[in-house]
Amino acid sequence: MISRQRIQALIIQEWYISKRSLEVIMDLPVFSLVDLLLFGFVSAYLLTGTTTTGNFILLGAMLWEIVRVTQYSMTVSSMWNVWSRNLSNILIAPISLIEYVLASALSAMLKSTVITVGLAVVAYLLFGFSLLQIGFGSLIWYGANLMLFSISVGLLLLGLIFRFGTRIQALGWGLIYICQPLCGIYFPVSVLPQPLQWISYILPPTYVFEAARTSLSGGVVTTQHQVIMVLVNIAGALVCMTIFRYFYHSARTTGQLARLEN
Amino acid sequence: MEQVLTVDNLSKHYGQMRAVDAISFSVPRGQAIGLLGPNGAGKSTTIQMLLGITAATTGHITYFGQDFNTHRQACLQRINFASTFNTLQGRITVWENLLVFARLYQVVKAKRKIMELVEYFQIEALLNQRFWDLSAGQKTRVNLIKALLNDPEIILMDEPTASLDPDIADKLLTLIEQLKSDRQMSLLYTSHDMAEVERICDQVIFLDHGKIIAQDTPLGLTKRITHSQLTLAFDGTQAQVQTVLGRFQLQYSFPNQNLVKMQTPEQLIPKVIFSLSQAGVWITDITIQKPTLEDVFLQFSRSTDSTII
Repeated sequence: MISRQRIQALIIQEWYISKRSLEVIMDLPVFSLVDLLLFGFVSAYLLTGTTTTGNFILLGAMLWEIVRVTQYSMTVSSMWNVWSRNLSNILIAPISLIEYVLASALSAMLKSTVITVGLAVVAYLLFGFSLLQIGFGSLIWYGANLMLFSISVGLLLLGLIFRFGTRIQALGWGLIYICQPLCGIYFPVSVLPQPLQWISYILPPTYVFEAARTSLSGGVVTTQHQVIMVLVNIAGALVCMTIFRYFYHSARTTGQLARLEN
Repeated sequence: MEQVLTVDNLSKHYGQMRAVDAISFSVPRGQAIGLLGPNGAGKSTTIQMLLGITAATTGHITYFGQDFNTHRQACLQRINFASTFNTLQGRITVWENLLVFARLYQVVKAKRKIMELVEYFQIEALLNQRFWDLSAGQKTRVNLIKALLNDPEIILMDEPTASLDPDIADKLLTLIEQLKSDRQMSLLYTSHDMAEVERICDQVIFLDHGKIIAQDTPLGLTKRITHSQLTLAFDGTQAQVQTVLGRFQLQYSFPNQNLVKMQTPEQLIPKVIFSLSQAGVWITDITIQKPTLEDVFLQFSRSTDSTII
């Protein structure tokens, strides 16, 4: 049975680590704020014309931070324990794999939500841009979809690190950036060359960013678009979870999980 | 006697290499079993399998009559592990670490439990320090508190006293003895300190090349070495001594002019001393060193044929 207390234990640990780690403070709120300021000034410059491109860029930048922060937290929270040689202590506690993943995911979502709210306030105060222009319900819906994608990628990367060791740990905070030019974050997917557009539509965030731009410009996102967005996201999540489970069990079989902290 | 842990035909193969090769043993309630062997013998792999970090190739692990594979969480709730080689989360304080583990083990009245152990191990002053700022000995003490938080019925300890100063090491061993007698706690214990193993272990298992090569009480194991070391200080010539010892066909050496050392069956000792006296050698001092567990360990470790014992 899933235990709330055990899940809380890991979330509390994540809070303790985050507040005491300069790296986490730099990688999450500080970088997020710097990105927001950068794109905020770019959009302010673009808005001096007549287009709404500036707002699209600011919207993309803010939603991208949901992806980045959630995925980073999902993967790197386990790495803190690997680096401290504490992961095995946690894995031999009576916590199930599901509880461990749930705790990591909830903690990542919590961080992402806090940072997004903070960024939204800064964007409103400094650039007069309200994230709520896309609608509160839409914001929650798009945010949830982006978080699901990021948790899935985070889980996939965690599985890879469990299986192949810390020599590939840089993927934990670097791989997600491959999605950045492909997901139509700051521009419509139609800008991309055709072959890249095909790849783009395999990635769930593409649908979210397109839908968010439609919402921002006052358009209606079709039900078909929403259904495809959710289905692609769920399919991706299932694939990532399956791969994670496979790598986790493989790491136990090969002894890599025990060697991870050596 | 109730078995807390039963290991049946447990093996771990990495390709052609057999890290653990079909070992079987059990740990009765309230007993401590020492798991000894040279580096690479399979001790760590065995412990990793017993904790579920590494999957066994074949065999069964049963805790409290429950299959570990199918009742993993229920078993882990009642066991714990302490090792010098594992540490807690370095970036957070000792108190925060212990609180996290108390929640993971769903300890009732967690803060009180933590404080009881903190006082016993005298680390009150360390509670607000980050774990990575502690000395090796202090880290080991905090690790031990973590391992005792859930009042485990069996605790797996991998060299728990390495890096502890003698006073704290003795306190730990006293606590273990107390927990064994008062709460019938069981232990699976690895250490390179043979005196420690002799003190707390009821049984000792020797592993070599992944196989159990001997299993007995510490006393039973030392009895397998029939020779003691006899050292005699004497007043006389080495030629006189050599003549007498030659008759007994003993291996001997002269560390200095008036000292002779030899390995001899215990029953021969009075005869050797009597014969030397009769030959006119004046014995000024006698030291008899009985075989220890360390001698057994060395003998087993240096044996090339692991199947002979």
